[in-house]
Amino acid sequence: MDLVVRKADLVRELQFFQQIVERKNTIPILANVLIEATGDEMVLLATDLEVTLRSQTQAAVTRHGAVTLPAKKLYEIVRALPDGDVRLEADRNQQNVKVTGGQFSSKMPTLPREDFPTVTEPPDTPVVTLNRSALAQMIQKTQFAITGEDTRYYLNGALFVLKPTQMTLVATDGHRLALVTATREGQPTDDEKPILPRKALAELGRLLADGEGDIAFQRGENHLFFQVGNRLLMSRMIDGQFPAYEKVVPKGNDKHLEFERDRLISAVRRVSLLSNERSRALKFVVQAGTVEVTSSSPEFGEAHEPLAVDYSGPALTTCFNAQYVIDFLTAVESDVVSLDLKDEVSQALLKPVGVDGYDYTYVIMPMRV
Amino acid sequence: MRKILHLDMDAFYASVEQRDNPALRGHPVAVGGDPSGRSVVAAASYEARRFGVRSAMPMARAVRMCPGLIIVRPDFSRYRAVSQQIFSLYRAVAPLVEPLALDEAYLDVTHNAWEESLAVTVARRLKTEVRQATGLTVSAGVAPNKFLAKLASGWRKPDGLTVIAPERVAAFLERLPVEHLWGVGPRTAERLHTHGFLTCADIRDRPLDALQQAAGHQASWLRALAHGHDDRSVQPHRPAKSSGAECTYPADLTTLPDICREVTTMAEEAAVWLAARTLYARTVTLKVRYNDFTTITRSHSATPATREPRELAHRAVQLLDRTEVRHRPVRLLGVSVQNLSDTPFVAPRGADVDTGDRLPFE
Repeated sequence: MDLVVRKADLVRELQFFQQIVERKNTIPILANVLIEATGDEMVLLATDLEVTLRSQTQAAVTRHGAVTLPAKKLYEIVRALPDGDVRLEADRNQQNVKVTGGQFSSKMPTLPREDFPTVTEPPDTPVVTLNRSALAQMIQKTQFAITGEDTRYYLNGALFVLKPTQMTLVATDGHRLALVTATREGQPTDDEKPILPRKALAELGRLLADGEGDIAFQRGENHLFFQVGNRLLMSRMIDGQFPAYEKVVPKGNDKHLEFERDRLISAVRRVSLLSNERSRALKFVVQAGTVEVTSSSPEFGEAHEPLAVDYSGPALTTCFNAQYVIDFLTAVESDVVSLDLKDEVSQALLKPVGVDGYDYTYVIMPMRV
Repeated sequence: MRKILHLDMDAFYASVEQRDNPALRGHPVAVGGDPSGRSVVAAASYEARRFGVRSAMPMARAVRMCPGLIIVRPDFSRYRAVSQQIFSLYRAVAPLVEPLALDEAYLDVTHNAWEESLAVTVARRLKTEVRQATGLTVSAGVAPNKFLAKLASGWRKPDGLTVIAPERVAAFLERLPVEHLWGVGPRTAERLHTHGFLTCADIRDRPLDALQQAAGHQASWLRALAHGHDDRSVQPHRPAKSSGAECTYPADLTTLPDICREVTTMAEEAAVWLAARTLYARTVTLKVRYNDFTTITRSHSATPATREPRELAHRAVQLLDRTEVRHRPVRLLGVSVQNLSDTPFVAPRGADVDTGDRLPFE
């Protein structure tokens, strides 16, 4: 293999692979990116056996071939090179690759291309077009609600509900739930409800942020395929039953409050400084005309901050994890947000007010204190 | 000055087998599994040890070293019965008996039921009682503390009786290699060696900061041991901190149903163990060794603690999702439970507080 590629192109592609390869993977070749030089392009591929990314970029290929190189080291090297051309040149047995740029030259050992896992190719199922910015919005507003390492594996991802005229993404950690629905046009589909792993969702979010234009989606037997520009993301689906999310979205919350988002997030951030370090409990003391946000912790003391609201209903006090409130307030952009309560112990409903193009629902279960 | 005994049965499992089956006496015997598989030696008779057969050695290797080796499948119910017999003898004499294993215990005989002031006499009488009751021999170490008593019992085996009197401690430790110190494993030993600490005398006499360089936070403990100091008490009721089982399979497991079934069985065994002790476990740990010997553990902690077989099995099986068992052959699986308590709900301090109450999906 012998090829010359523009540094900027290679850096841009390689950076998308950094989160695909696993730092702590015990299979050495999974830390590598497979590079194939054919025609006038180089194709890059990396996988952790769950999530796979393939991309291509223009290159001047003088000798065809394929090698695998450590994705992180290669990225570090190429990123540090001076602007201009980078040359990747494998020796005869494809055992070493010379990476050169400017006056710099280096030689890296490869791992055999034959050892690289074979990846699932997209199936012959129909291709569905999805709106890029709508999908990006949906990911940004839900992915933080996915649990870290939950043994309920079906919560380690987000449910992607694709209907003929709309699409929905839902994520929950069992304490709070984020749900975004956007209308969609284009070809109608059968109802689909795959669960997309957290890692795939994060990678998809990064891919969507680079470039423009609709993306193509396909579902295989066990995998989902997202073609985003010249990059193809393939992810295994999480096999499991996502909880019945419709059931926990409250319907009859009749106590309606509206806040200026900036004002509320500042107050919550300040007051939460004195919340219990473990529970992060934050009280919302609701009375006619005001909501007082309060906190207390055995070590640090207590804090409160009143916010004026247009409210004349009955008084009540409810309690939330401060982080869950902050997560919502930082995910939305609207100037005004609403909080709808039923009573002190039922699910609370948070929504941005006055947004177009999507419907965002955020549900928090109050803490009992 | 305390009087501590360490009593260690000689080649326990193998000796029980030889006692119960005259055909095995005088022959090299190993207790363990099939040599064509991956089993290891659980115990080797002294005849087998002469060929170099040792506990924990792969059985296949033991057979190569000792072609006439007679392999006996273990029968733990019999070993446990003999163990109970021995411990009842120990407990009749010593107020404090700390079991280390079925065949091994510390006894504090500073005060004893025989009102015998010489610990060596207590040891001698116990050895006789054990032999009369069970027909088996036990090696005894007598010393002012646990560390020295254990060293002493291993000094001369089988049927040994070694006393380290207080005035002989220094001489006894002088040339003792560092790897015999309690808490020094192969890694620490290697570090100590590279820093020039070969014997207890080195640890005792060289500057403490040099020792700290080699052994880190263990330095002061090792220094104490090298002087023969060890004030750990004999603890009759050491509460269990964990329990678990693991299994190396004759052939690698490659299918998820097989793996789930094994994990479920082991989790259910843990539940039985918990129920027998009326304990609850907050943490479940899964251990997986792949066919290339890389070994990982994955744990999950949750409140409330549980001892429900189905719940424990569920928590253990869920942990499989954080492993690569779908893609890599599995050589060994293990399930264990930790963070044990008497009640399902632990005190909130230091424990995980359940932050929000849960969304009512069900």
